[in-house]
Amino acid sequence: MEVPRVTDFLAQNSLWVVLIVVLVVWGGILGYLFRIDKRLKQVEDEIRKS
Amino acid sequence: MGLRIFLGLWLSAVIIFGFSLPMVAQPQHWYDLPIIPGLAEKARIIFFHVPTAWLSVLAFLSSLFYAVRYLRKKEPIDDIKSASSAGIGFLFCFLATVTGAIWAKFSWGTYWNWDPRQTSIFVLLLIYGAYFALRSAVEVEEKRASLSAVYAIIGGVTMPFFMFIMPRILASLHPEPLLNAQGKVHMNTMMLIVFLASLAGFTALYYWMWSLHVRAERIHYQRSQIHGGASRD
Repeated sequence: MEVPRVTDFLAQNSLWVVLIVVLVVWGGILGYLFRIDKRLKQVEDEIRKS
Repeated sequence: MGLRIFLGLWLSAVIIFGFSLPMVAQPQHWYDLPIIPGLAEKARIIFFHVPTAWLSVLAFLSSLFYAVRYLRKKEPIDDIKSASSAGIGFLFCFLATVTGAIWAKFSWGTYWNWDPRQTSIFVLLLIYGAYFALRSAVEVEEKRASLSAVYAIIGGVTMPFFMFIMPRILASLHPEPLLNAQGKVHMNTMMLIVFLASLAGFTALYYWMWSLHVRAERIHYQRSQIHGGASRD
């Protein structure tokens, strides 16, 4: 039995393509916020040590 | 805090409306979206992909503005603002490239085909990638700030060419931009409302992300000045 490929499924159900796009955008924004959080922790550690 | 909760609710509403408004061949109700030939449901990507490209334009222009201000006043805070804005611009430029490639796979059959839109945004990524390479290569703070300000101005000036002019000069498969060659907006009213709401929400989100980054970098800079000038990066 032939297993349908993910790309074939997405080609036929294009709303899922939009969902992937939204997840990519929010994943990027979340990654950036984690980076700022890490930076703030670094600054807080410096303040605590001094 | 209230404004941030409002922003979260606003962007959630954009996602809900962006996904749930029905797409029909002949819109009868105020909430109907038209089916765009060749795009179908994929047309909804406009609510999420275009704002990322818009934010990269906004962030690069903001970076240009603070770079000019730094060269005029030599205030380190302007360098921090310019670099933070360029960082967010790069992030959204990258997101616009990736989301555009995903869309291209299901519309054009391939992730990447060097369409003028793809080529121009790729060149922009290279330009701003080099900006961060330049910043990390110079250790003396004042020199780094001056050099990167000059580079941010060059990058900011060339950005409109790559973002707006080049894709319009060359034949492209990319769907017509919101403001078409005749200077008119061809979009269903409901679609336009959700799209503009998304643009407004993402713009506010950009401002919040930028101010968070600037605040963190400002504290770090002030501390490094007090404690003998530790390197910022």
